[in-house]
Parts: sequence; C-alpha cells; structure tokens
Amino acid sequence: MLKLAWRGVRHNRGRYIATLIAILTGVAFFTATGFVSDRVIDTLEGDATREYGAVDLAVIVDDTDEQASGATVSTGHAEQARIAGPVADRILAVDEVEAGAGILTGRVAFLAADGSTFGDSATGRLWVEDDELNPISLSEGRAPAAAGEIAVDTGLADGEDLTVGQTVTVLSLAGQAEATIVGITEFGNSDALDQGGTVSIPAATAFDWLSNGQVEYESLYLRGPGDQAALAAAVEPLVPDGFRAQTGDDFLADRREETGSIGRVLKNALQAFSILALLVGAFVIYNTFSVIVAQRLREIAVLSAIGATPKQIRRSLRWEGVVVGLLGSLLGVVTGIGLAFLVMVVLEAVGVALPGGGIAVRPATVVSGILIGTIITVASVMIPARRASRTEPIEALRDAAVESTRPSRGRIIASVALLVLGVLGLLFGGNAFVVGMGAFLLFVGVIVAGPLIAIGGTRLMRPLMSRFGLEGRLAVDNTARNPKRTATTANALLIGVFLVTLVTVAGTSAKDFAVGEIKKLESADYLIQSDGGSLDDAFVSDLESVDGVQQVSSFRQESVTIDGTASLLSTVDVAAVQEIADIDVTEGSFDDLRPGTIAVTEDAGRALGDTVTVANNTGRSERLTVVAIVKDSIDSILVGSIVGVEDFDTLVGDTAPTVAFIDVESGGQSDTTDAIEEKTSLRPDITLTEGNALGRLVGQIFDFVINAVNGLLMMSVIIALIGIVNTLSLSILERRKELGLLRVVGMTDRKVQRMVRLESVLIAGLGTVTGLIAGTFVGWALIRTIDRLSEASIGISIPIGQLALILVAGVVLGLLAALIPARRSTRLEVLDAIKAT
Amino acid sequence: MSTTAADTGAARSVDAVKTYGSGEAAINALAGVTVTFPKGRFTAIMGPSGSGKSTLMQCVAGLDRLTSGSAYIGETDISGLDKTELTLLRRDRLGFIFQQYNLVSSLTARENIVLPLTLAGEEPEPKWFDEVVATVGLGNRLDNLPSQLSGGQQQRVAVARALVPRPEIVFADEPTGALDSRTGIEILTFMRRAVDEVGQTIVMVTHDPHAASYADNVLFLADGQIIDEMPEPTTDKVLDRMKRFDA
Repeated sequence: MLKLAWRGVRHNRGRYIATLIAILTGVAFFTATGFVSDRVIDTLEGDATREYGAVDLAVIVDDTDEQASGATVSTGHAEQARIAGPVADRILAVDEVEAGAGILTGRVAFLAADGSTFGDSATGRLWVEDDELNPISLSEGRAPAAAGEIAVDTGLADGEDLTVGQTVTVLSLAGQAEATIVGITEFGNSDALDQGGTVSIPAATAFDWLSNGQVEYESLYLRGPGDQAALAAAVEPLVPDGFRAQTGDDFLADRREETGSIGRVLKNALQAFSILALLVGAFVIYNTFSVIVAQRLREIAVLSAIGATPKQIRRSLRWEGVVVGLLGSLLGVVTGIGLAFLVMVVLEAVGVALPGGGIAVRPATVVSGILIGTIITVASVMIPARRASRTEPIEALRDAAVESTRPSRGRIIASVALLVLGVLGLLFGGNAFVVGMGAFLLFVGVIVAGPLIAIGGTRLMRPLMSRFGLEGRLAVDNTARNPKRTATTANALLIGVFLVTLVTVAGTSAKDFAVGEIKKLESADYLIQSDGGSLDDAFVSDLESVDGVQQVSSFRQESVTIDGTASLLSTVDVAAVQEIADIDVTEGSFDDLRPGTIAVTEDAGRALGDTVTVANNTGRSERLTVVAIVKDSIDSILVGSIVGVEDFDTLVGDTAPTVAFIDVESGGQSDTTDAIEEKTSLRPDITLTEGNALGRLVGQIFDFVINAVNGLLMMSVIIALIGIVNTLSLSILERRKELGLLRVVGMTDRKVQRMVRLESVLIAGLGTVTGLIAGTFVGWALIRTIDRLSEASIGISIPIGQLALILVAGVVLGLLAALIPARRSTRLEVLDAIKAT
Repeated sequence: MSTTAADTGAARSVDAVKTYGSGEAAINALAGVTVTFPKGRFTAIMGPSGSGKSTLMQCVAGLDRLTSGSAYIGETDISGLDKTELTLLRRDRLGFIFQQYNLVSSLTARENIVLPLTLAGEEPEPKWFDEVVATVGLGNRLDNLPSQLSGGQQQRVAVARALVPRPEIVFADEPTGALDSRTGIEILTFMRRAVDEVGQTIVMVTHDPHAASYADNVLFLADGQIIDEMPEPTTDKVLDRMKRFDA
C-alpha cells in the first residue's frame, strides 16, 4: 500500500503543490523562529558562561529572602546593599582564595565639546585586575590603571569615533572629569558586556566616580585552586549580612537560566504563532485531500471493487498524507533555515541586532518541525480518508460527478448549540474560565456553522453578483454548490481575521482605557527641572517663543523635611499652574494660603488645622498650619507641598525658579518636542520630562503588542491565501469539462476568468466578514466581561478604520488568490477541456 | 433456470429483488430473479437499457446489495457478509472487467495486473502471469502507465488483471462497449479462450449481439425478470431475439 500511496502522491503532484506549500510555510515559520531564538538563547547563555565561567565562589546579595528583595524594590535604587571595602579585604585574605574581583558599576556618560552628551546609557565598571575573572578583554591598547585612564568597548569606540589616546570628558557621580582612553575592550564576540556600552575604570578613580568615594562592592567573585565547596566553607563566616556565598557552578547555572529566559520566552511566543499557522494549514490540507478523494472517487471505487478493504484504502491515503507531510516538512525545514538567515539579514539592515547575530540549527528544532508538520498533515487526512474508505464499489461504474454536498441536520443543531452556549458563556459567565470557554465555543460554532454561513452568505450575495451577468451568477452557484468546501477554505482565512479583529478591538479598547486612566492623573505636557542651575526669565521666555508652546509656568522648589520626612516644597502661582497642570485639593482651599500656612500632599497624612514643622537642610525651620491637602496626581507629586512666597523666602532664601511646567498645543507635538529638546540640550543641568510620557509609553506598548501580534497572525493569513488558491485551482481542474462547455457555447475567456475571480472574492469575503463580525463580537464581549467582573469601566473602542482596512485586505486577498487559477481556467484548449475525463 | 442445471453453479441468485427509491417512486430493478451461473461456462446477460442486467450482475458479484432474496458465490451466501468480508471475497474469488477499463492511473500496466494479488499480499505465479500477458499481447507495454496506453491496450490490462489471480468467476460489464469492433473481437477472443482452455467461468453483461455470440449461453432480461435464454447463440439469432423485444 505504501507503493500505491507513493505513486498516488507522484501522480497527483500538481494537486499536492498547495498542500506542500501550506505545510512548508508553517514548518518554515516554526523552525525559523526556533533557529533564531535558539541562537539568541545560546548566545545569552554563552555570554553568562564567559562572564562568570571562572568564578568558583560568588558573594552576592541574598535575594532568597522574599522580604529583603521586596524592600529593595519598593525603595527602588535608593539603598542597595554593598560589601564594604574592609570586609572584602578580609575575604580576599582567606587562604583558599587565589584571586578575587570586586564588582562595582554605575551610570556614566560623556560630555562633548558643544555641551551635549553621548554614551548616556553606558555602564561604568571597575576594571577587574584578575585576567581569569575579568569577562572582558582588550582588543586594542592596554588596561586602564592610573587615575584619569579609562577603556571603552568596541561598540562605543566605533559608534562615537573614540580612539586610543583620545581625551574625553566623563560625567559621573563625581561630576565632570577629564580622562584618556588607553584601551578598547570587547566581550567575547560581542562589543560590550553591558547593553549601552561599557566604560572600564581603574580602581584609582572608580570609587569616586561610581560610589561617591566609598570603597565598596556590589558583589565579589572569587577564584580558588581547589574544591568549590571547601572555598565556600572557608569564606562563609566572613559573608556580611544581606549577602550569601554561592558556589561557582550554581551561580553560573542561575545566571545562564536568567539570561537565557528572555530568549526562551521569545521562542515560545513565536512558536505558538507558527503552530497556529500550521493549524490553519491543516484546513488547507484537509481541503486538498477532500477534493483529491472526491476526484479519485472512481479510482478508489475500482480499488474497492477488485478487493482493497476499507482499511487498506484508509491506510493508503494516510500514507499519502505521511509522504506529503514529510516532504513538506523537510522542505519547510530547509526553507526555515533560509528564512532565519533572511530574518537576521533584514534585522541587521534595519539596525536591530539580535544577540548572537546568527542561527543555531538544532536537531531538536528540526525533528519537532518535521514531526509537527507531518502529524498535522496526517491528522488532516483522517476525515477524507475515512470518507474514501466508505466508497461503495458501485460508484466505479457510475459517472463520477462533481462533489456536491448539503449540510446535515446534525450540523445545524450542533452549530446552533455551540453558538448559543458560546454567547451565553461570553455574556453571563461568572469567571474567566467560563468566559474563555464561551469564546472558544463561539469560535468553534462559527467554524462548524461554516457551510451554513456559506449558503446564507452566497444567497445574500446573489442579487449583487447577478449584476456581473451570467458569470456572476455562475460564480455564486459554484460557491454554493459545495458549501462545505467553500466553508473550509473561508474558515482558514476566518481564523486569521477573527484573531486579528479580536486583538485589534480588545487591544484598542484596553489601550484607550489605560491611556485614558493615566491621562486623568496629569495634564501638563512637559516638565523641565534644573539641577544646580536655574530657570531664569530669559530662558523661560526663550522657551515660550518656541512654535507650539502656549505657556511656561516656572516656580521655585526645594527639598525640605516636613516633620522629619524628606519632601518637596514649592511656592507656586496656584492659579497660573492650575491652568496647565493637574493641581487640586482634596480638602481646604489654596485660597487660604497665607503666611504661616501650608498645603501638604496627601501622603504627609496630615489633617486640616494640624501644625507641621518644615525644616530646610541648613537648619532653618518654621511651624506652619495645614490649610489644604493637595490631591495626588502626577503633577502634584512633582510640585510637592505648597507654601506662600514669604514662608518660602524665609525657609529657603531668595532662590530662582528651578522647575517649570510647559503647555503645548495639542497635535504636532513631535516638532515642538524637538524644538524644546534643542533648547534644553544646551543646558546640561536641565532635564526635560514629557508630562504624558507614561501615557504615551503605555499607548506605544499597546500599539506595539497589537501590531506585533497581528503581524505574527499574518503567517496564518498567508497560508489561508494559499488555501484559496488551492481550492480554486482544484475546483477548476474538477470543472474542466464544464468550463470547456461554457467556452464552446460562447463565453469569452475574459468572462471565464472574471467568474473565477468573483468566486475567489466571494470566498475571501465570506471568511473576512464572518471573522470580522465574530472577532468584534468576542472582543466586545471580553471587554464587557472585564467591566462586569472587575468594576472597571473600559469603554469599547471599535477601530472602524482598521476594521475597514481588514475588510479591504480580505477582498484584495481574494483577487490575489485568483490570479493563477483564473489564468489556468482558460489555458486548456477548448476541445481538450471537453474531452477531459 | 439454466438448462445445464448443476445446482452447484459458480454463482446463483434466489428470488433476487432490488428496489431503488421508495413509495410511489420505487423502481424494481430486479423483480425476483432466480438464476444459476454454471461453472466453466461463459454466460452473457442481455436486455434493453433499464432491464436490470447490470444490477443483476453487480448484486451477484457483491458490488451492490439486494433489497431481498439472496445471492451465492459457490456455496457462500453473500447477502450476509459485511463490507470488509465482501471486499475480501471479491479480492480472493472474483475478477472484474469494466467498460471504462478502470485502471489505477498512477500504477504501471504490470502493477495494475497484479494489484488484486498485491492487495492480498500474494505474488503472481510467474508462468501463468507470462502466459496471460502473452495471450493478451501486452509483452512490451508492461511498464507503461495507463495514460500511455490506447483504449484497447488498457482493456487488455483489465482482462489480464481479472484473469491472473485465477478467480472462480470473472464478471465483465460491457467489456467491449468503449472499444472499436476489431479490438472488441480480440478481447472477446481472449475471454473465450480462457473458458475453453482453463475452464474459467465468465459472466458478461452486454447489449451487443455480436459480443453475446461468444458466450455459451445468453440470458435475456426485461423489466427486472429473466424472460428467455439461448444456448449456443449466434449473432443473427441474438439479433432476431432482440428485435422481438421492441415488438
């Protein structure tokens, strides 16, 4: 039977092409993502090995204690535990320790001659003297040793045109300092150990620049001549509180796991989409085999007549599935390698270099790609194979007709039940699981109801299509003749459209909600702050002259303590600031602000009428009465507590304004932003913060996720496109005689081709519209559910424009899919077409 | 009803009834046919279109099922067999020749000929295979695909496929219907020789009086019933008998 199957595949080569492409595409996506992400994982893990490979014992912050790590998170960067210099010296003096490396890092940047900065995201690192423990190596020059010497990584050197011997101005905690570049470093095959670049600093200056002069380390990596456990035992008693000693092997395993995890998440997400694409491919495969079985009904009946048992027929077709599946999967793996290379090249061209910059062809990926492709193919063949095995031998003696089916009563009942259950679950489900099941049932219901939708849809379209004349009517009839096949083809597209619509509708709604919520917290467009300098009137009016800037409201601010707690104190023209920033009270009124009174922030925990002691860091202090509580908002947190000018003068002195809110016209913000940035960049002391940065960032993240998911779903749409091409091609093959006859009696080739195009658009439109409606409904229902179950009030945002775009794309897809089949429909000579059996 | 009435025929039917449709629209394709096809003989079934001749053959050959009555291959009552048992019976004991040749288009002539044996997991007897192939004259076309063969050559392959497994009975449905008369005569000659030389039992449905003249015995069907039979037929005698149908 294997021979028969193999011959069957070879003999039906043309018919299997689409199936092969569908499998190939899915498997190629699957393996390509595997190849790329494996390489990323390898590289990240390899980096970890390179960085920590020589470590025999690591003394690191003890983050195993939940509470300790929780505290670190809540205080942010504030108080990170450090190993003090003397403690480190004692540890290094232990007999079992052969060498050690104290790790200390901090932010540094460079100041250019024109006052602008570069290399802002670089990490300053204490140079590790021990060669084995030092993860980075010199590619040029020598190691930094004396004060005023540094080494920079290859990436920084190339990107910023830095060379050995050059003198640069380094910005650090210690302010500006001149330094000479004495070496260029590299980290294995990559430029730098740190994401934004590495600046290596010798011990002579590192503590000043990175740690305010304190000799201390973030962690300590030790190397010993012997057993790691023995080393651990010897060092253990000296490990300070809040730290723990971990053997090199465990430490390395942890670091590999940690760094590789990004790659693994990426891999899993991408492969999930490829499997979805392959499942869509299953529809194409199922359809092809169904058509092939229908067309070979006579042959199958002959086989049955001369003695092939149903089992043998089933097995033969299944073997055909195995052959096609294996072949498609193998080609898919090869294509996947090519695709992975292409992805790398394209990414590099657009400047996104993935770690590793290459691909890793793993047997596991290859084998799983082949397995998944083959299994999905064989599974898709099961139903057609069963149907084939039920063929009565008597059919061999009848004239094989074009397959045509009518939906059964069972299907009607099943789809109605599924749809009703789905809608009920979605609308009234009491928890996430029931609602999720509802969405799933609804989706399955739509798929099962496919043939019914196909009949209904074509019936609706009949009047419109009839306007195209006879070919329009015939197109409708052909589509309705075998609603099952039409539905399977449309369903492949429907899956993609459904998910794209769902993600777009639900995602846009969630985005609008989140951005709206964040916007409620703020209203100023920009905030500028001077650190050390001041915002003098000249600068303020300079900013106000920027096109698009409507108002700049500057005010004086100082760090003080209120009843001993550090907080911000400002004196502001409340009326003016309120125009552009979200400053309000929960209790009391700003109008009551007179000398001797204060408006405190909510977190101060004071009530109206309380008296608070406000102290400046020079020791001046005043007792003030609370007359207003400032409502929490992003703006008010930036302003802090508010006092009148007189009290501020008394406490702080006659200072200049250091903070300002900027209000710009809505729309055209990017130009204005650029202009403001240009002005502020000339003043290194000034930082510019977009007031709505958070909202915009959240919006951008949502947009990115929506676009990324939709982009990945395109894989499945591509396969659905192949499916339409496939169904049309096969149906044209099947109707050769009929098409020939139409041409004999006078239908021009152009009209025949138009008929094929109309059919294609009809099928594509059916899948697209159904997917749009179902996707929008489920998206709406999901958002409603979130509102219902969580008391949030996310409004439903239906992005009409994007949905219209999807619809147009669906129709265009239909036209595209018809290109080849339409041409093929008239390629055969008329006489051959009629004679064909 | 056969005159050479050994009741242990190669195949027989008893009160065979086949009804298509139901109720008012019901059509009796077979209205109670009892017939025995004797061993080692060549029987032709004739009748006008719609007489039920093909239905009779298909039901006796286990390709279709009777509505009532029973059909036997040898002593096996095939009415009681399930789909797989019927298939195995056809594979192991029967051979078929169809009007449309019905070869498997992806297999070569040789592979098509041995297909029933392949399906059973058996090998053909080389001597017998060569003899049959030589007789039907396919010597140098054995490795061609059906699409590379003429209609006559394809039917020779079909005849060889029916004869090579040495079935108890060969059923032929209009075997010459799609062939020109010269090729048709060749095919009928092979069938005749198979009966004469190795005692093959053949049942053939035809509407061609000349084809029927190659048989030992001709059964005439009309309206689902056997109305006559003719031993030792000639073309003219059959033609005369057929003319009387129209009258």
